[in-house]
Amino acid sequence: MNNGALLEAKDLYKYFPIYAGLMSRHIADVRAVDGVSFTIEEGETLGLVGESGSGKTTIGRLLLRLLPATKGRILFENQDVFAMKRGEVRRLRRSMQIIFQDPFASLNPRMTVGDIIGEPLRIHGLATGKEIDVQVRELLELVGLRPYHANRYPHEFSGGQRQRVGVARALAVHPKFIVCDEPVSALDVSIQAQVINLLEDLQAKFKLTYLFIAHDLSVVRHISSRVAVMYVGKIVELADREALYQNPLHPYTQALLSAIPIPDPALEKRRKRIVLTGDIPSPVNPPSGCRFHTRCPVAFDRCVVEEPPLREYAAGHFAACHWVEEHGGRGPDLTSK
Amino acid sequence: MRLLEVRNLRTTFRTEDGPVTAVNGLSFGLDAGETLGIVGESGSGKSVSALSIMRLLAGNATVTADRLAFNGESLPEKSEAEMRKIRGYKIAMIFQDPMTSLNPVLTIGEQIAEAVRLHLGLGKHEARERTIEMLHKVRIPLPEKRLGDYPHQFSGGMRQRVMIAMALSCNPQLLIADEPTTALDVTIQAQVLELMNDLQRETGAAIILITHDLGVVAEFCKNVLVMYGGNLVEYGTAEQIFEQPRMPYTQGLLASLPRLDEIEHRRLEPIQGQPPNLLRLPPGCAFAPRCAYRMPICAEPVPLYDFGEGHVARCYLYDERASDQRPVSMQTLPTAPVAAPELQVARE
Repeated sequence: MNNGALLEAKDLYKYFPIYAGLMSRHIADVRAVDGVSFTIEEGETLGLVGESGSGKTTIGRLLLRLLPATKGRILFENQDVFAMKRGEVRRLRRSMQIIFQDPFASLNPRMTVGDIIGEPLRIHGLATGKEIDVQVRELLELVGLRPYHANRYPHEFSGGQRQRVGVARALAVHPKFIVCDEPVSALDVSIQAQVINLLEDLQAKFKLTYLFIAHDLSVVRHISSRVAVMYVGKIVELADREALYQNPLHPYTQALLSAIPIPDPALEKRRKRIVLTGDIPSPVNPPSGCRFHTRCPVAFDRCVVEEPPLREYAAGHFAACHWVEEHGGRGPDLTSK
Repeated sequence: MRLLEVRNLRTTFRTEDGPVTAVNGLSFGLDAGETLGIVGESGSGKSVSALSIMRLLAGNATVTADRLAFNGESLPEKSEAEMRKIRGYKIAMIFQDPMTSLNPVLTIGEQIAEAVRLHLGLGKHEARERTIEMLHKVRIPLPEKRLGDYPHQFSGGMRQRVMIAMALSCNPQLLIADEPTTALDVTIQAQVLELMNDLQRETGAAIILITHDLGVVAEFCKNVLVMYGGNLVEYGTAEQIFEQPRMPYTQGLLASLPRLDEIEHRRLEPIQGQPPNLLRLPPGCAFAPRCAYRMPICAEPVPLYDFGEGHVARCYLYDERASDQRPVSMQTLPTAPVAAPELQVARE
């Protein structure tokens, strides 16, 4: 992989053990992330999409070293994140920040907005005394709030405004890389667009790199340069935005895209929807071979026994599917009428 | 006679901070077998309207209406016992979160059977048969076995299907689905919507689908009612609403959505500002403080303007007096500045 990458995840695993019984015996694992590799280039937005339990949030936490990995490596600016010592981790946290989904749960209700945004400045020793107040006011204006909001408490703000506070807190330490974990999914449509535009403006202004985690594929298409699709702990497809949305190879990506209703009744009448049968498998006991074979409309015998590797079928377009491999890098045609 | 008639519905909650007006003069109607989508953001009053019609609100709520009729019979005049015979029987409801709307200590078989025994008067054996039939209809595998399982033994999508089975078990004439797929993953949402579509075709029940997802409405509903600040701001067929939205709020909502079929990156056009505070709703248009086309007259109560074929919008831009104020995109449209008789709001 390329050396210009800001961040590289190599063969990443995260298993959460399940203990049961009187002796708390280790009986199984939740295989949240099960062998995932990818890179993030400087200045890009990598979209990470998947349904509940696909492991996308866990990946975000691993990248920031908020969770230890079971196996695998993460290189940030060519430094091994998991091998870092305490002081180095603290420096890492200045370069990497996170914006959370729930703007109600991620702000301390007993702190004023000024204290919330000023805290990272104090912890990292970036400012003291009056200088903190000055920077907090600048940050508030940067995210579209008013300087006098510094004296207010989170409950005095609406969801969209709180999310702006979360963005200001992340920006306080001048990070290079921000994990945006479902930053707009708790917001109303009219407010969601405000926050998306803000994230885009800040990226252009400060040359930020984003990992944008979301389940809403329309939002991800809008904001990402490349997109990775996860299914039960694995990346099943990874490509440039256009390639992924115009020419999805993996049957799961195709089904996911076709399942999303488009606000256009005329178009909706012409579209064919692939309705998958069954539920998303449990990451405790994922299906053998290809994890998608239990719901895949084109699965064949090989898919049940052999796990498909993530292979490059066109420049930068990766997919993990036996069907695609056996058909010369072409995806199945599931959506034409 | 329409299946459901709502005229000038007004719901206020007494709170410590003063009265909160959640529904502010809503009028609409619904025919048998129709699918109506009610869209709006948090606090627009869409769920409270449904709960007001069903008389399911807590004691601090005051509901008034000039008319609230189901099958021509006035619902406010019904006794509580009579309402119980309507709820779950003639009008069924599905909620967003199937985990909190199912009883965790009863098996799903007991819960579905309870409804059919109560409303259809079936005996124990027949109720079991009906329960199995309904679970089969909503495509729960091995219904005879799953009957004895508890809600926590089902996945989110399966629980919502159990809710649908329960709601449709007594062949209701009207199903009110309040954000039925919001808590579900998209592939599961597609399953549930397909199921609701199939079952509607089979049973002919009318459906009111309450949602904030405009895509789901475009896919599922024939007619669409857009709510803002507790009242209807636009109503029409899905084609009218999505292809020729008249109210600036509806237009703004569509312009602020990122779209799955977007090819060129286009900057989203958010609606500025915040939704209205329901403690202090403005006397005129609730959207005016956020509206790019705001005029002095917007501070007065706004009538509905009729665009023909049932399409109405509540906006002064379509008044003759404002003909010179209309932006280019709205100016070219033919308008008839008269309130729609069907939906006319009685003036106090």
